[in-house]
Amino acid sequence: MTETMAQVTFVPEKAGRMLRRRGAAREKKKWTAGEIVVMAVLAVLVIIVASPVIYALLNSFRSYAEITKDPMGLPTTFTFDNYVALFQQTAFPEAVLNTLIITVGTVVLLVLIVPMAAYGIERVGGRTSRFLYVLFIAGLMIPFQVRMIPLVKGFDDVGLYSTLLSVILVHLGGAASFGILLYCSFIKGIPIEVEEAAHVDGAGRLRTFWLIVFPMLLPVTSAFVIIQSLGLWNDFFIPLVFLDSSSAGTINVAINRMVGLLTSQWQLIYTGAILAIIPSVAIFAGFQRYFIKGMSVGAVKG
Amino acid sequence: MSTHAATRPRRRYGRGRLAMLGFVLPALVVYLLMVIVPSLQTLQLSLTNWDGISAGYDYVGMQNYQDIVASGRFWNAVRNTLILGLGSAVIVNVISLVVALMLDRLNHAQGLFRTAVYLPALVSAFIMATIWKYLLNYNFGSVNTVLRELGLPDWARDWLGDSSIVIWVILFITCFTLGGNTTLIYLANLQSVPQELIEAARIDGASSVKVFWNVTWPMIAGAVTVNMTLAMIAGWVIFDQVLVLTSGGPGFVSETMAFFIYKVGFGEYRAGFGSAAAVVLFVVVIVSTVAANAYMRKREIQA
Repeated sequence: MTETMAQVTFVPEKAGRMLRRRGAAREKKKWTAGEIVVMAVLAVLVIIVASPVIYALLNSFRSYAEITKDPMGLPTTFTFDNYVALFQQTAFPEAVLNTLIITVGTVVLLVLIVPMAAYGIERVGGRTSRFLYVLFIAGLMIPFQVRMIPLVKGFDDVGLYSTLLSVILVHLGGAASFGILLYCSFIKGIPIEVEEAAHVDGAGRLRTFWLIVFPMLLPVTSAFVIIQSLGLWNDFFIPLVFLDSSSAGTINVAINRMVGLLTSQWQLIYTGAILAIIPSVAIFAGFQRYFIKGMSVGAVKG
Repeated sequence: MSTHAATRPRRRYGRGRLAMLGFVLPALVVYLLMVIVPSLQTLQLSLTNWDGISAGYDYVGMQNYQDIVASGRFWNAVRNTLILGLGSAVIVNVISLVVALMLDRLNHAQGLFRTAVYLPALVSAFIMATIWKYLLNYNFGSVNTVLRELGLPDWARDWLGDSSIVIWVILFITCFTLGGNTTLIYLANLQSVPQELIEAARIDGASSVKVFWNVTWPMIAGAVTVNMTLAMIAGWVIFDQVLVLTSGGPGFVSETMAFFIYKVGFGEYRAGFGSAAAVVLFVVVIVSTVAANAYMRKREIQA
């Protein structure tokens, strides 16, 4: 396991060069029948896999009576009644706010502590370095379920149960391992001379890190932030366990409660599902370049 | 401070060990408190009869583990976890690799199709399962409606209430994706396979199938290891789909290990028993990950 993870290396320049070279060779190529068939197959696959979401989107414009009378019918009018109802009749606005606080809070804290820790681990050297690295990476093999019961007890004991802070802290611990893995493999490639020069020029260690090293980590940071944001926004289990009915919960928790309570309001469930997806798509659309790069760089064997 | 630093030998910069440990400290404290300590507490609680709410508990030795081994319900959860975890890992990897191979063949609009293939991965397991729950509703779900309209009313059934098929329905929904992340990792690896190797094989008269098995497949063995390992780690803890679609039902038929721990620990006030199940899950994850890695690494070297 550790070995697998250790070989995940960051090679953005190399992969980029390769793609560009092959891209240049491709421009001259002609369209072939095989290529058009492949495109058609891919398009069909994407449509099939996306069909439940498209179905939910269409039904978010219909009423419950329409949905049950004709489950496969198309919306007759495009009104946003369901969207308005969801925000006015349920605790959905609060749930959106909670999800936003958890996602942003966790990501900001992660970026504050994880790159610094990875830098420390890499630069402390020797056995300590190895020990700390393995300690953090071991977390990748500890599923949340394994630490769940004592965490609930612990947060209850200190009076933090069912607070957003408890969810953020649990997420921090869970994401630390992956972050250390990602950052350490990148920091290995940064020459220490740059830091020494800054140090000679009189910069303290903290300043050297934040002003010199941290900017060099930008490619990892962008990938890390985007992957974590999506994961946090989409998470269901952790807020389900740590937020009881005294909290409006996150979007997913709120939808789950609606499934139980509003048994005759399918249209609101579909609407909530669509609203939960929109920010993920927006994050992806905005940062696609970094995103695909971040995903691709992992596991490319140099 | 600066003059002092300047007079020090250069290589001593890397040895500011205390400062470097200080850098690690905040993350280390959070990690220890949120991951390592609670995991050890789980180990401790697994030896008690704690109910999850009382202040005190008694140590009962290995009683919880004996109960687990004797529990048919737990073994059923293990079986379901194996079906869902291993099944989804294999199926998603095969789909992703096929999709990546198709993407790699495109000479035009590859970026567009790569994005389109990735889009389904943006929908969380929870949302996907929630939508499917309604699609599979017996009376008003679109799946049964379509079957009835196609003149196949016998095929319409209670998809999530029929204990003989429910776990396979959950497996289908779990795999109902193009494996966005997995596809991207495969694609990046396929594109790093030197074209010269493939061309050389072609010139020697190898068929496409032969080129794949003898050139491409060994070259992407590392990606297969990584993707399978990641998919399995995710598979062992499948929870969202089960909670949303069936809540473990009908009865306990579709429970997974992750769901079992949640249900027993919080729903049935048997936190000690749930902790023991969590320890078993941890052992399963470690053993399967290490074993799978050892096996696949060996294959890589041979290749």
